[in-house]
Amino acid sequence: MKPKELLLAEDDPMLASLLKFRLEKEGYAVALMPDGKAVKECIATHLPDAIISDVMMPYFSGIELVDYLRNELKSKIPIILISTASNEENVINAFKMGANDFLAKPVSPSELLIRVNREIERHQII
Amino acid sequence: MDTRELLMHLSKLENGLDTYSFTELNTKEANRLKKSFESFKNGLEEKVFGMPKPEPVEVSLKKTTTKPPEEHTMIAKVSHEIRTPLNGIVGFIDLLKETTLGPKQQELVNALDTASGNLMNIINELLEFSKLASGHDTFEKVPFNLKNLITEVAFLCETLITDSKVELCVHLDKNLPEQLLGDPSKLSQILLNLVGNAVKFVEKGKINLEAILKSDQQGKVYIEFIVADTGIGIANNKLQRIFESYRQAEDDTQLKYGGSGLGLSIVKEIVDRMDGLIAVKSALGAGSTFKVTLPFEKARQQDITSPRRPIKSVPRSLKHAKILVFEDNVLNQQLMENRLKSWGCQPFVTENGLYGLQLLENHEFDLVLMDLRMPKMSGFQITECIRQNKQDHIRNVPVIALTADLSITDREHCKKVGITNYILKPYNADELQRMMQELISESEKENKREISQITFDQTSSIVNLNLLYEECMGEKDTLAELVQLFKRNMYEFIGNVRMHLTNNDSRGIGFAVHKIKSSLKMLEAKSLAQICGKLAEASESAAYEALEKYYKQFLNEYPKVEEAIDIELNKL
Repeated sequence: MKPKELLLAEDDPMLASLLKFRLEKEGYAVALMPDGKAVKECIATHLPDAIISDVMMPYFSGIELVDYLRNELKSKIPIILISTASNEENVINAFKMGANDFLAKPVSPSELLIRVNREIERHQII
Repeated sequence: MDTRELLMHLSKLENGLDTYSFTELNTKEANRLKKSFESFKNGLEEKVFGMPKPEPVEVSLKKTTTKPPEEHTMIAKVSHEIRTPLNGIVGFIDLLKETTLGPKQQELVNALDTASGNLMNIINELLEFSKLASGHDTFEKVPFNLKNLITEVAFLCETLITDSKVELCVHLDKNLPEQLLGDPSKLSQILLNLVGNAVKFVEKGKINLEAILKSDQQGKVYIEFIVADTGIGIANNKLQRIFESYRQAEDDTQLKYGGSGLGLSIVKEIVDRMDGLIAVKSALGAGSTFKVTLPFEKARQQDITSPRRPIKSVPRSLKHAKILVFEDNVLNQQLMENRLKSWGCQPFVTENGLYGLQLLENHEFDLVLMDLRMPKMSGFQITECIRQNKQDHIRNVPVIALTADLSITDREHCKKVGITNYILKPYNADELQRMMQELISESEKENKREISQITFDQTSSIVNLNLLYEECMGEKDTLAELVQLFKRNMYEFIGNVRMHLTNNDSRGIGFAVHKIKSSLKMLEAKSLAQICGKLAEASESAAYEALEKYYKQFLNEYPKVEEAIDIELNKL
């Protein structure tokens, strides 16, 4: 079976590597993206099975990304946002726009794995 | 002789007269000649056609416009449409400049910046010209301070001079009246265009800007403005055509010096509409002299503000102060931005009320400068919105209104909507500086925060790799790799913050801190996380003193952390 493709947008290289390491161990094919703009360009031509993205990124924020994915591309693929918590408004905004899940930093990789698995399964059922 | 022939002779004569006053001028005489010719012509036409012509409103030279008015309206519309997205582009380039860029990227962004700036200038000129030519532009009649205006123009032009071999000298006739009635923005446009041109065409030498009182009778004054340069000059046979639109002296002028070729026709058009005269004298290689004579009325004595002592040094409180400027006039925008930057402030200029209010939501500003008369949302309306905001720091921001004329009802209106203070345009720079300084230091006193030295709990460890080791599922190589990334992250952070500090870019610091926060938490680097917390806090209020201090603390602390990481890694 072809491994599920994930796009991971996170501009902290250490966190990104850690998450990639764990997601790949779980059997996913992970493409690292340096910023939101890169993700936008990537998904314009090819949609992955799910997107994991930091909220605060240069050029194109995670929130904008959700908006673009849902309202421009009209895609329903799972998108999970991660961010330094505390900003309630951001979280609510993200959900309103149609993000599937939200994790506060520092992200526990194990928790992220469970959530990614769950969202991908759900998406397949639908 | 039939009427057609008569008219032909008449227009020939008129043309001859135009050329005459272009090349040699004693303005008073030329003016009188024009006027008498005008009345002669009108009288003649009256006799020939048997009906009175409408009273001559302006002493017009041959009209520079050849296009029908509808076409100018169209150009005005199109230029406006182009300007809006271009404004966006310029704004985004500014944002791009604030991000971390490599040297090559820096170079490209700078090129982008210059190109879009040039395009913006050309479009603004086009817009201005078509507005004038289609007759849509209105001329104001408000009191203004002539000396301040000329000082402003000189200040702005000095910022255009990039070569130290060029010098700008300003001479003001001491008999000039202080306060005049007229349109100050149109006058500054004329002067800016002429001096701006001189700056462009002079490689080495002097530019003189002179204002002379030519006559003063019954409250009406004629003032002559002379802009003389030692630049490349214009050949005699080209002189007569330089005021035509899209016309530059030489075919390669555009290539060498840029510009739309509209500058001088704009000047000519404005001078015409103000019932003034313009003339030029030039010799190739020796430079050009432009003379503009304009009529003004003297303002009443009561409007004259007393001159105050200038402030020599820029007070501390204005350095790094974030100022939001609402202003729709492009010249004033540029002027205000340059002025504020010269005081060390960080200006954000916009003509769009909603956009400005959005900026206030996202950034903490120290002060707002508000032009009262703006299209769409007026300064009063914007101020009302500010005062009704839920957030304290927005609601309480001081607002200084800038206005050309302030009526009594305006004054009451100011009070009602919560405008803190106001200043008349063209404003006296010292006065504005003093006012801003007072308001900013007042609000600073209220929320001054102590910069405290952080003391660390020495009993707890400054770093802990266990958590990360677990996440790596016991794979030591992965952990070592991550630690390597962490270190690189920190070096990058230190470099970035240093750069942002040099650039006074507190936002950049905030962003950099945000980027490393989660890594610090994962390694449980508590002391560094604590310093970063303080850095983030200080970056929000652009407290540079505090930022410097915490940055130094970070530099002191980091080597200890790195050492501890290496020791822990070896123990595993």
